[in-house]
Parts: sequence; C-alpha cells; structure tokens
Amino acid sequence: MLPSPANTGVPSLPVPPPNRWRASTGDSSPRFLPLVRLDVLIAELRRERRVIGPVVQDGAIRMAEIERAAELPFGWTVSAQPGSVRLTRREAGAPGAERAFDNATAWSGIKPWTFPPRVDALSLERRDDGSVAVRVEAPAPVPTAVIGARACDLAALATQDRVLSGGPAIDPDYAIRRSDLFIVAVECAFATSVCFCTSMGTGPEVSAGADIVLAEIDGGFVARADSTAGRRVLVSLALAPASPAQLDRATGQVAATRASMPAAVQADGLHDRLLANLDHPRWDAIAERCLACANCTLVCPTCFCTGIEVGSDLDGRESKATRSWDSCFTAGYAQVAGGGSFRPQQRDRYRQWLTHKFGTWWDQFGSSGCVGCGRCIAWCPVGIDVREELSIIAAPPVSEVAVAATPTLLGQPLPILSPAIEPGSLKTDFVTVRVAEVRPETADTSTLVLTTDDAALLSARPGQFVMVALPAFAIPPISISRIRPDGLELTIRAAGPATSTLARLGPGAQLGLRGPLGRPWPIEDAFGRDVAIIAGGIGLAPLRGLLDEVLAQADRFPSIRVYLGARTPGDRLFVSEIEELTARGLDVRLTVDRAGPEWLGRVGIITELFRGAKPTGANVTAFVCGPERMMTAVVDRLTDLAVPREHIWLTLERRMECGVGLCGHCQLGKRFVCKDGPVFSVSELGEDLRREGL
Amino acid sequence: MTLIGQPAATSGGRAVERQRPRVGVVKFASCDGCQLTILDLEDHLLALTDRFDFTEFAEATSKRSSGPFDILFVEGSISTPEQAVEIVRLRAATRTLVTIGACATAGGIQALRTASEHEAFRAAVYPSPAFVDSLAVASPISSHVTVDFELRGCPIDGHQLIELLTAVATGRRPQLPDQAVCLECKRRGYECVVVTRGEPCLGPVTQTGCGAICPGMGRGCYGCFGPREGANVDSLASWYTDGPSGPRAPVDVGRLFAGFTGASPPFRGITDRLGGRPALPLRPAMAHPPELVEGAPPTWGPQPAGEAADAHE
Repeated sequence: MLPSPANTGVPSLPVPPPNRWRASTGDSSPRFLPLVRLDVLIAELRRERRVIGPVVQDGAIRMAEIERAAELPFGWTVSAQPGSVRLTRREAGAPGAERAFDNATAWSGIKPWTFPPRVDALSLERRDDGSVAVRVEAPAPVPTAVIGARACDLAALATQDRVLSGGPAIDPDYAIRRSDLFIVAVECAFATSVCFCTSMGTGPEVSAGADIVLAEIDGGFVARADSTAGRRVLVSLALAPASPAQLDRATGQVAATRASMPAAVQADGLHDRLLANLDHPRWDAIAERCLACANCTLVCPTCFCTGIEVGSDLDGRESKATRSWDSCFTAGYAQVAGGGSFRPQQRDRYRQWLTHKFGTWWDQFGSSGCVGCGRCIAWCPVGIDVREELSIIAAPPVSEVAVAATPTLLGQPLPILSPAIEPGSLKTDFVTVRVAEVRPETADTSTLVLTTDDAALLSARPGQFVMVALPAFAIPPISISRIRPDGLELTIRAAGPATSTLARLGPGAQLGLRGPLGRPWPIEDAFGRDVAIIAGGIGLAPLRGLLDEVLAQADRFPSIRVYLGARTPGDRLFVSEIEELTARGLDVRLTVDRAGPEWLGRVGIITELFRGAKPTGANVTAFVCGPERMMTAVVDRLTDLAVPREHIWLTLERRMECGVGLCGHCQLGKRFVCKDGPVFSVSELGEDLRREGL
Repeated sequence: MTLIGQPAATSGGRAVERQRPRVGVVKFASCDGCQLTILDLEDHLLALTDRFDFTEFAEATSKRSSGPFDILFVEGSISTPEQAVEIVRLRAATRTLVTIGACATAGGIQALRTASEHEAFRAAVYPSPAFVDSLAVASPISSHVTVDFELRGCPIDGHQLIELLTAVATGRRPQLPDQAVCLECKRRGYECVVVTRGEPCLGPVTQTGCGAICPGMGRGCYGCFGPREGANVDSLASWYTDGPSGPRAPVDVGRLFAGFTGASPPFRGITDRLGGRPALPLRPAMAHPPELVEGAPPTWGPQPAGEAADAHE
C-alpha cells in the first residue's frame, strides 16, 4: 500500500449527518422490502423500463441489463487497492452472504448508459445534385431504471448534468438518454480502501438524485421514496412500514461505513492549493510512473471528453461522424492543424487531468469534478493514487485534514467563470450554405463567399467562428473573415486534408455550418480609444470583420492603425482590399519575414513596425491575431509601450471538436477556448498565456 | 494529399470512365497472414475491386505487375540483400507506400536476433547455411525507404485497411489512432486483466487498432501493434516485476516485450535490460524432422543451469 501523509486516520468531525431514515406519516414513511420481494420491485420497474443493475462479470462487478434479482452479485465482496480489484465470495452463512449490494460501487458506473462510449453524432451526405445534408443524430429514448446506484454515482450524474446540460450548449444525445432515468440507489454498507466519498462530500449517505433509496439489512431492504415517481412505485408494492429497529439498523449501517473511511483528501481549499503548485516537482515524478494510458479518465464517472471520427464510403459521398470517449492523456487530444500538440509531455497531461478534476472544474462548473469513488485509483494499471498525489502536490496544513460530516458539495454551486450559462443558448445543429464565390488569396489560401438566410449565422460578430462540415472530412473550426448582409466569408488556409478540400471548393458547392460560436472581439472596449489591429499571416482573417466594423464606425475612434506581417509578399492576404484602404487614407503598415529584390517594402518582424508609429500609452486598445509566438512578442512590446493588459485582445488557437464547451479539447486552465474565447484579453489570460503544456 | 481516382473530366455531359487507382500488394520476409487478412474482407472485396485495380497481389491473382502503383501495400521485413534492392525500386514506382503488419512496420520476430547472433541462428535453423544469403539483421521497411502510412498488427486489422483505402480514395487523412489499447478496452467495457487478475498486459504501451481483441478474450495484450506514442515501458515493466501482482522474474517480464514487435526500440530496450529474447545456444540444426530431434526444445532467455525445461512455456 502506498502511504499517504494525508491518509493518517484523522477522525471525522463529530457532527452527525442528518438521519433520513426516520419514520414519518403516510406514504412517505420508509417501508420494508423483504428480500424475496426484490424481484417484485424489479418486475414493477421492468413494466416500463429496461433495468440496469450490478452483476459479476470477468472478475469484477459492472452494471448490466438485468431481468431478475438472482443476477445481482449476492454474497460477493470486493477488495480494491491501487491497481488491483479482487472479488471474493462470502461463505454461506457468513455476514453479508445473503446480501446483493454489500460490495461497493460497480466499476462501470451508470455513465455507459447516459453517456455511451461511442455514439453516432452526425450523418453527412452529398447528393447527386451536389447538395449537402448534415443531420445531427438523435438516439431513440429508452426509459431506463438503475438499481444499485451509490451516493458517488448520483453525485457523478449530477456533475455530468451540469457539464453536459447545464451550459450554454446542451449535448442533445445526453439530454435524451438522461431524460427518463429512474434511480433506485443503495446506501453503502461497505467501503473499499480506495473509496473516499466522505472526503469529497458526496456520500456514503444518499442525499439527492434518487427516486428510491434502499438500505440493505438482513432479510431485505429499508426503502424510502425520494421522488414522486419513487413513491408511486413503492406504494404499488404495498409494503409494510419499516420497524424502528430496522430504521436504526439502516442508520447505523451507513454511519459505520462513514466511520470506516479515513480522511483522504482535504477538499477545502484544494482548488487554490493545486493551482498554486503548477510547477511542483512532483509532476515530473508522477510522469515517470504514469503510463498516459487513459484508464483513469475512462473509468471516471464524471470525465466527459469526446473525440469525433469521421468515416465515409469509398466515394466520400456519405459519411458518419462518430463520437467516442476521448482522454486528455492522448497526444492527439491537444493537437492542432499542422500537428503540434499543446501538451507534448506526459507531465502536462497528468497535470491537466488532476488540476481540472480537483481545481478548474470549480471555475467552470461550480463543483469539484471528483466524487471520491476511487475508480481511478483501483483501475490504474500501475496503481497511481490521486489521494497520495494531491497530498504531496497540494499538501494542506497538517492540522486541517478533515472530512465533511455530511454530503455538502452537491447543490451548492459556486459562481462559475462563464457568465452566459443559459442552458440551450448555443446551437448544436448544422445549416447548409452555398459557396457563391471563391477568391484565391495566396498559393494556399482562399476566401469562400457563402450565402445563407439563416438568421443565427447572419447575426455573427467579428471574431466568432463556425464549425465547417463536408462529407467524409474532419469538421474544423474556421473563423469568420467577413459578415455580409446575405452570408459569411471564410478565409481558409490549406493546412490539412479538410481545409485543403475546403480551399479547393468551387462556386455552387455546399457545406454545413454550425455557429456562430465563441466570444467576438469586444469592439466596444475600443470606443473613444486609439485602435491598433495587429495581424500575422492568416491571423488577419479573424480581424478582417473587426476592421470592417471599426471603419464603419470610424468616428468613434481617435485613430485607427493596422499592422500586418506575412512570411513573404506572396503570403499577404486581401492585398487589393488593403491597398484600396491605404489609398483612402487608412494607416496600414506592412512587413514580411523575407522577400526577393522585387519587394520594395519593409522586411523584418512585426514589432519593428511599432518604431515608426507606436501604439503607445494607456489610450490604446489592441486586437492581435497570429501565430502564438508572434502574439506573445507583440504583447511584450505593447506592454513595454504602456498599453494596458486589459486592452490587449488576442484570439487563441486550440483543438476544437465541438465548439460549444462539451468535448473538452480546447481547455486552457479555467477556460474552454471555444466558448469562453477564442478572444481573450491579456489580463484575463494572466500567466496561462505563456505557461508551457497547460 | 493528392486525390486519386476521382472522376477526372467530363465529356459531353457524361463522366469519362474513371481511372481506377492501381494497387499492389507485395511481400518480403513474412508469413502472408496480412495478405490473407485482406482476402478475409469478403463482404468488401467486390466494392474494393470495383474501386481499385489490384494489379499485383500474388495471394489473390496470377496477374502480375512490377508497377507503377498508386498505392502499394508492403508486407514483411527486409532480410536479404535482394530485398533491400527491390524495396528501393518499388518505392520509386509507388505514390503512396503503406507497410502492413508487424514484420513490415517493426521487423517482426525475425528482427529479434542481433547481428552478432546471425551466424548462430543460421546454423541452428538451416542444415546448409552456406546456401542462405541473409542480412545480419532483419529490418522494417522504414529503415530502407520512406513510408507514407503504417498499418500495424500481427496480422493487420482489416477495417483499418479499408479505412486507409477509403481515406486515400477520398483525399482525407486516415484515422489510425496512436493511443493505447486501454482506450478501446474501456470503451468496449472490458474488465482490465491487469487489475482484476494481475495478468501482465502490454495494452497500456501498445497502439490501439485491433479492437482490444486479447483483453476482450480475457488475456493480456501481447503488443502485436507495437509501441504507441509515448509508451512508458519502464514504468509498466517495473510494475510487473515489483508490483502487487508480482514479484516476477525480470526475464519473464522481458519476454512479454519480445514478441512480434519486440525489435521496436522501446520494447527492445526492456528485453535488453531484463532478458527474454531467444538466447544462444539454440538447439542443433533441424537436419531431421522435429520429432526426431533429441533433447530439450529450444530455450528462451538467459536461465540458470538446470532450469531450462520449465522456462519454456
């Protein structure tokens, strides 16, 4: 066993948890369900639903569809250690030999039913007439009952609810699968050595989220209804009220379970302690042990990251996008077009997982991402114990280690980072648009002029982006380079197969668009201020719409200056437009990294342009987009020139697969770049802007 | 990526019959199992031959071609001087070269021998080694020429082959994940054999793509897809020697890594350290049918004297 300094058995606080196993009047008083009648409960549930319950399979207890009580793991108990799970059968007549649920939570949890490992996400089709149809797949709702969910499972479900249906975008697949779920929970009479729900404040008492709660005692179950639907089921079983002795046993049993769990993680203040230790040497030590195999994330009942795979028929006319569980431990997870990864090292990936789960999850979703179920500890093939890692990386002052006396974290959301968290306010469906015109810009870049009458797309703001779908290809995020009365312009550089194909489309072609997405450039921040628009290479595309707006309201700004950088003269974008604006008096300064003798303009890095016309002082608002290294150099120079950090705005590139904060890929510290950005001020980003591997 | 096999032009409103991409399947030192995997794709063969012109595929057709090829699938490792010349010629005649299987991508079991063991192996295997002109080491195709795509596995996964052909035909990037087998295991809901039984499994360090077949059948992965991106083989190996399911003899753990992809550098590093590769002396040359060979079967790994017999599984 791995010793954990925090795991030294400091007693829990002496405040008793509220007793929910008390007799009351009428239907709401707990009943006694004799063991022999468990099948009647299952049969009652099966009248309208499939029933999922724990079963023994291949040496572990998992959730599976069941038909009768005999399939439950009667008499089995489990011993779990870091990296090891063993089932043993109790001897006939031994305590617990007649019990079904005296064996901790099932390793699979409920997640595979509410959030399956692989679902159809989209179907895309190019028809004979060239038109393109993109359909968001929706599962057929299957009414489901879960029997044997534990307090940690319910806490996990509530956590995924907040992530997948609490934000501005609602995952349609999850919403349907989650919509008709009936839960029969069981209060744990037994905790394994990896359980730490008391530390995370989620159990072992079942406090919320169940329809019926069972406490398994000798001869049957004390059962109470926690919802109207649960009450209806219990009433239909016509059970006798539980006796005071039975209620006492139910109460005492879960209290004993609580007492058996040592304080393992000091959850109070963990967020701050973790984020203060992003450079702790332990991250390197753990990277030597961590296999980055992703098992911890895939058994975690709250991990929600997914990846999209697009497959097609041989002609590429029909294709399907499949969404599968993904993990922040894989290299591809943080990879962007061109192949670079934002988290190249395993220490970066472990840090991402642990700091998100226990830290930045609070900022994003108002709760911890950990429910203390211990699955990541038991199912780590090399036995890495998060409790130990947290006790070292985010060590609490020794005297403070204590557990919450009651499940406390549920239902007490903290203020979250993203202010616009109105569920359903972000669209997740695609609109078909037509390519009206294709304008080649450079050897590898074209502008597609798209027409649409979709009101949402036409309401796009500069700085926002769209997800672009073509049958057979990956679905990349593309920033909007101009908003027109009848459509949008997208300027696309051929960086990979999908963007190459997009850049080669001809007039009349159709494609699917989802958006507009993301936070636009805050043009109002520049009202009454000097505007500096600073773009490197393709970075001019997302700034072009902003330039349109700034020029349309030119009298609001004392001065407008544009600084442009390109690799070579041939890589300049929107050349004739820029020349025309210059001719009309706009202050545009241009430099290239290298050029032949025919180039009479400036050669050098973009910050050299500031020499001639400095964007200096507290009255400047700067909008910057380009390669990340160019942007950090520009930020440094602007800071030197006394431009306030809250008035320097950047747009960031990250891997994005959903664009609405549901897939996890674009996370940067407390943010999802897709929904909280991609536009950020330098002061919002703080140190995260430069931190390697975040 | 270049689009191949797309309708090239139209004439008088009718599509000119498209030029089917020319596909070759060739082999070097290998067992032909990957080629048979292609032939096993029975439900897809008609669609594939409709879309692609298999101009060279000795396991499938007596029609032969020496190129040029739009796509060439190469099975096997380079084991002889002639093969080393031929692969260079084939590369020059090919647009997209795809290696298939553990032999072509990692060298195969024949690559487990080192150059210094070459003569001993030849003498052990062939009655008249003088007639055999083999290179001192067997090596993957990528040691000789540029490879565009790799399909791993022993044998390859047929669906990955279809995915690759489809991707090349439509001009998109084939989706060949570089993640651990564990992801597929968990997505399929397989119980981990390491955690539930203490059975050593190479899944955490092996590239996925097989559909987690072995763990799905309740046994450990033996790494036939080879090391995944960033494989932390040292951590896994020391968990198997010293962890709670151990202790295990280092040579037993080393042997796990000495499989079909054991010549790949990360796996090779473990067997170099822990042992487990076929060790000299080998049994005498098979001058006679195997049932007539006297004495012990071939021995594996460095062993203490007198324990040779039980080291052989």
